[in-house]
Amino acid sequence: MLLARRAFADARIRTISFAYLFAAVAYLNPVSYRHTYATLSERLQFAHSFANNKAVVLFYGKAYDLLTVGGYSAWRVGGILSILAAVFGLLAAVRALRTEEDSGRTELVLAGMASRAGLYSASLASIGAQMAVLWAAVVLGSLLAGLPAAGSAYLALAIASVVPVFAGAGAVASQFGATRRVALELGGAFVALTFVLRVIADTSTSLSWLRWATPLGWAEELRPFTGARPVVLLLPLAAAAVLVVLAGRLQDRRDVGTGLLAAVDSAPPRQRLLSSPTAQALRGERGGLLVWLVGVGAFALIIGVISKSISSAGISRQLRHEFAKLGTGSVITPKGYIGFSFLFFVLALSLFACSQVAAARHEESDERLETLLALPVGRRQWLGGRIGLAAGAAVAISLCSGLLGWVGAASQGVGISLPMMLEAGANCLPVALLFLGIAALAYAVLPRASAGIGYGLVTVAFLWQLFGSLFGAPGWLVRVTPFAHVGAVPTQPFRIVSAAVMLAIGIVTAVAALLAFERRDLMGA
Amino acid sequence: MASPATALAIETEGLTKRYGATLALDGLDLAVAAGEVYGYLGPNGAGKTTTIRLLLGLHRPTTGRGKLFGVDAWRDPVRAHRRVAYVAGEPFLWPSLTGAETLEFLGRLHGGVDAAYRDLLVERFQLDTRKKLRALSKGNRQKVQLVAALATRADLLLLDEPTAGLDPLMEMAFRQSISEAKDRGQTVLLSSHLLSEVEATCDRVGILRKGRLIDQGTMAQLRQLGAQTIDVTFSGTPPQLPALPGVHVAGTGANTLRFEVSGEVTPLINSLAGQPVVGLSTHQPSLEEIFLHHYDSSDGRVPG
Repeated sequence: MLLARRAFADARIRTISFAYLFAAVAYLNPVSYRHTYATLSERLQFAHSFANNKAVVLFYGKAYDLLTVGGYSAWRVGGILSILAAVFGLLAAVRALRTEEDSGRTELVLAGMASRAGLYSASLASIGAQMAVLWAAVVLGSLLAGLPAAGSAYLALAIASVVPVFAGAGAVASQFGATRRVALELGGAFVALTFVLRVIADTSTSLSWLRWATPLGWAEELRPFTGARPVVLLLPLAAAAVLVVLAGRLQDRRDVGTGLLAAVDSAPPRQRLLSSPTAQALRGERGGLLVWLVGVGAFALIIGVISKSISSAGISRQLRHEFAKLGTGSVITPKGYIGFSFLFFVLALSLFACSQVAAARHEESDERLETLLALPVGRRQWLGGRIGLAAGAAVAISLCSGLLGWVGAASQGVGISLPMMLEAGANCLPVALLFLGIAALAYAVLPRASAGIGYGLVTVAFLWQLFGSLFGAPGWLVRVTPFAHVGAVPTQPFRIVSAAVMLAIGIVTAVAALLAFERRDLMGA
Repeated sequence: MASPATALAIETEGLTKRYGATLALDGLDLAVAAGEVYGYLGPNGAGKTTTIRLLLGLHRPTTGRGKLFGVDAWRDPVRAHRRVAYVAGEPFLWPSLTGAETLEFLGRLHGGVDAAYRDLLVERFQLDTRKKLRALSKGNRQKVQLVAALATRADLLLLDEPTAGLDPLMEMAFRQSISEAKDRGQTVLLSSHLLSEVEATCDRVGILRKGRLIDQGTMAQLRQLGAQTIDVTFSGTPPQLPALPGVHVAGTGANTLRFEVSGEVTPLINSLAGQPVVGLSTHQPSLEEIFLHHYDSSDGRVPG
């Protein structure tokens, strides 16, 4: 019991963040649908244009009923959140099992009064509790949006039912992988495979039976709001049970702290990227940077492909009015859709900037920075190098997103030029570099709180702009946040003055960070 | 040419450090001459690691200052560190790098190492440099740190419990390396709990307690302040001897008496004359005895 509580407490930041996200998605989607497609004819138009567009189905899954708020919710909310629930389940399991073992804490606990089976059950119990939190978040969001209680509870259950299956997969991956990274790679490959199976099942008529082969498909087959079939719940339950028991059996066959797949623990020396602290940082961050690059690029590609369907839809006046409130310009063209969607990339890139500062802080909290700074390495040189690395990576990610967005759009025949798309990508940079500077300054002054400050400021700034404009707050109040000063390129012009101001603030705060960093003690964990 | 100031490898003036309400260092005045091997002793929490952190400019002194070869490392860390190599109490290194890559990385950052000597050290400490650091035990990772520092042949070696976790064979390898360093004229500050190690390698020893240097001196000087132990064996039951100043009876056996003499020995010898003495043996106090002697008494500065 104590162990389960400890495991749940360790995961609380991730659980709470996901819960907020789930509740927000569950609330915003039905609300916006009700606003923008108020009449049946509008809904019929929407159903016709979106539901059959393969690119949209790829991302959101198959829709069974787009004429009611509930059906739309099941499609949209269910589609997005089931993927996120899969990721959550995987992360929760790997964290509770592999990461704890790698850190040596498991050894410590097992040396006391706990048994391996007891510790394993405690981890599972805490994951169950986290799943319950997510379930509650979706119910809350749906209820606030005016959906009926029974349907909301069932929708939430359909989404939550994905978590145990992927937690079980994560548990199995943790038995095979010797390090957290390998476990996440194995689990991530599994998530990708189940996603691809769902995509194939939803976009091709002859292979639609494949939907029964993937847990993401089962969540669809539960059909919330469109003819609920609770008997399908037996599938995720059975799969989860099998995986969990399998992981337990595998665990008994190996030593604590190892994986069933032997880790590559020795290698001939690779001497590149070891000549300076920044080069070595790049070497260490390579994997993470690649994931960001590929992830953001893939999203940009999908956005580009989806944008084609906008032109053939008759978008209602209501919808145009909603978007006008957001101040993002016209969205009724592919360009408009891309411009709007790329605003979310601004958020993503800002979060990336914070993650780079958090990585630098990690070097300090693990005390490796002490080793580095005891050498003839200056503090300015080190921090400046890390900030520069983050900025360079941000530039690469933004340009990559512009390029892949263009590839996606051009493949569907949307007439948008490459320079224009690159500009859309580069448009994300000023805000991201602003937050990079601010996060760096927070790190230089209050290192232990810096991750919370960085991510917190970005989230607050983004939601400020979103809710402020949706609920009609006065303009001067909304303009406090940097997100209100970004134009939806390419439909809206690139706001050079705002960009220059944000860049200037970013540079000033970064320089202040370099100076402030020289004034404080190094603080470990 | 070399002024007295720069002949000091380490010099601190009233170095004080406060962490919130805790006083970690209290007006430390330390002077370590170039070429000296200085042992730095003290119980846990005395301020040994704090001293090194302040000297390296990792933490900022509350008052006072410390200099390495005349350079204040808080003001000018890069210049100060060029002549210094540091080994931390625990190996804080990058788990995904192999031993060879770590040695190469740290060597390049230092501005170059003696590659031949480094290879010799790798042999001597029996390191498998092909292995990634996460696959090594803590003691082996400690060895990587140690080899990296020794290979630089830096003018000043700051070692914070460098052999914690090393087996006795490696302890011998360490002592051999320190004596080689000393022969080359390098300065060493060795902070350690292993009193035998300090006794074997160090020229001078400083004892730190609650942030103050309560004693300092060569082994010979320190021994003088400790009590000498004299074991006397008699042919029968030990006789009653008059109490003498500076002589303390530490133990009684069937026919033995143990005396601890902290002052003059002559009065005791005189009082034993005419007694049925069969055997007499003396031994010098070990560093451990001196150490414990200081920590038994209440704190008072003993001139060293």
